[in-house]
Amino acid sequence: MDGSSGRRRARLALAAGVLLGLAYPIPLQWSGYTYFHTVGFLVLINAMLGVGWNVIGGWAGQFDFGPQVFFAIGAYTAAILFVHVGLSPWLGMLAGVLAAMGICALVTYPLTRLRGHYFAISTVAIWMIAQPIGATWEFINGSRGLFIPMQGAQGVLGATASLQFAGRTKALGYYYVAFGLLGLTLWLLRLVEHSKLGFYFRAIRDDQEGAEGIGIDSRLYKVIARSITAAVFAAGGVLYGFWALAVFPEQVLDLNWSTLPIMATVVGGIGRLWGPVLGAVILIPISQIMSTTLGTGPLAGRGIDLIVYGVIIVLIAALRPTGILSLPWSRWARRLAGRPASGRLVGHG
Amino acid sequence: MTLLLQAIVNGLEMGFLYALVAVGLTIIWGLMEMINFAHGEFLMLGMFGAWWASVAFGLDPLLSIVPVGLAMYALGVLVYRQLMRRVQRGDPFTQIFATVGLLFLLQNSAVAVFTSDYRYLSDTLLTRLSGANVNLLGITIGVPLLIGALLALVLFLALYLLIDRTEFGLALRATAEDREAAMLVGIRPQKMFAVAWGLGAALVAVAGAILANFFAVFPQVGFPFTVLAYAIVALGGFGSILGTLLAALLVGVVQSVTTVYLPPAFKDAFVFASYIVIGLCRPQGLFGRF
Repeated sequence: MDGSSGRRRARLALAAGVLLGLAYPIPLQWSGYTYFHTVGFLVLINAMLGVGWNVIGGWAGQFDFGPQVFFAIGAYTAAILFVHVGLSPWLGMLAGVLAAMGICALVTYPLTRLRGHYFAISTVAIWMIAQPIGATWEFINGSRGLFIPMQGAQGVLGATASLQFAGRTKALGYYYVAFGLLGLTLWLLRLVEHSKLGFYFRAIRDDQEGAEGIGIDSRLYKVIARSITAAVFAAGGVLYGFWALAVFPEQVLDLNWSTLPIMATVVGGIGRLWGPVLGAVILIPISQIMSTTLGTGPLAGRGIDLIVYGVIIVLIAALRPTGILSLPWSRWARRLAGRPASGRLVGHG
Repeated sequence: MTLLLQAIVNGLEMGFLYALVAVGLTIIWGLMEMINFAHGEFLMLGMFGAWWASVAFGLDPLLSIVPVGLAMYALGVLVYRQLMRRVQRGDPFTQIFATVGLLFLLQNSAVAVFTSDYRYLSDTLLTRLSGANVNLLGITIGVPLLIGALLALVLFLALYLLIDRTEFGLALRATAEDREAAMLVGIRPQKMFAVAWGLGAALVAVAGAILANFFAVFPQVGFPFTVLAYAIVALGGFGSILGTLLAALLVGVVQSVTTVYLPPAFKDAFVFASYIVIGLCRPQGLFGRF
């Protein structure tokens, strides 16, 4: 057993995952029942947000409870540009990402003077300040929010260009866009992970004084890390806003836009690129499946799904805080294949 | 002017109750340096305990603080022994996850049992007094809130004496300061941490029982108080019991003065803005010793 066969296995798993993800909605589309496309869409968008949160939370080790602010900034920027100027949502997404990164850098730089729990609470503080602004600012229609009018674009290309899918293919279209965006996020952040930037982030997490000792400006790199997270959340916000055809403060500033991606990251494996994807695949459907199986029975709407989430998180924290991906999978795979375990870890991230 | 003074007085009254909510967190977070995001859920359980005692046994919340406090002491110790002790030595983030998981578990168990409906206590000693006012130089002081505030103050001072003036409090602070050294002089850290969790849970539950007279009781009631309590403890300075009291009064006043001049939605925004400003200018908190 050597590293290269581990890498081959990883590549096989990646190919299988991509094929599965691409093929998943097709049989469902055939039957005309698109509910599970929407479940898939929510899995993908939460996975994408989790991959983004991993940069500040997992790599740079700074606990961020307020990334939903940037989700909202992205959604609002693209929606305003679309409604008032008629700008294409894709350009709006670019603008939203840039706006979120800029605002994040400005807001976060002073906050990086705070460390540990203090920093975590200051991110909550920013969210608490953003909520009344979103609810009262007339330029963005206050608590009434913005409605995104349908353009009625024709054909697959037209719908994709205007990020507006309708009718029978609505759920399918958004599923594939979310799939593409998740793929793009993973690809870009994989580059970051193996770049100097990624090593700086982890150096700051593991030993901030040590990192500063070798000349890393820890405040600057924390700001960069959080801005990357903000960029991913902004892109996710744009996608969600156009999917929902509306952007209003209670929806885009909902706490769930940070808790679900963070929980997905923790369950899958914090600090591992693919951790949030695994976590989202496990966690998000629980909620959807619960609400369909409980139906209108006596336990419907009683938060049973969230009780299950709570138990999973508590168990992970108590038993395996580094997440499911950190379990010795390759050793188990070898044992399953009938070869004796060498006791050496050939794990990958 | 009267309006402003009135707002300040109202804010002070609320501030005393906030102090009681936050002081449990001062012990767990400020003193023992462990994180607890389920703090507001302990408060919620205290509120439901008082509500249930009132509905089922006709027990006034001012009396049910004793059984509610004792039950929540037991729960706090249990949470430490079964969960927090396991995550204590690991990365700090595991404490966050463990208690956020606990938050989901407790909050939604309450939803499963009680549903998300709002419940109100009526016919308690304090609600019967509603409408009774004390007039002082043109400023109206509601009697129920005044009694609540006084009760909070008494409990607070008792706790202050316990932590700052007794041998037990010394042992608690010694454990927080240096576990190994504390063990050398015969203190058992595990026991101290368990007691701290018990005390923290009991205090916040007692706060909940008092608050149940003034606020609707429902499963999601806790989280806003959790966030506020964190800001208060950090503002007051770590491990400073009196600092927590003063910070809580400040938060109450900031909230109520803000609502005089701005839409009510902004009342928390200014509390958190002051948290950030003070955190940046004076990282040890307003009254922190180090």
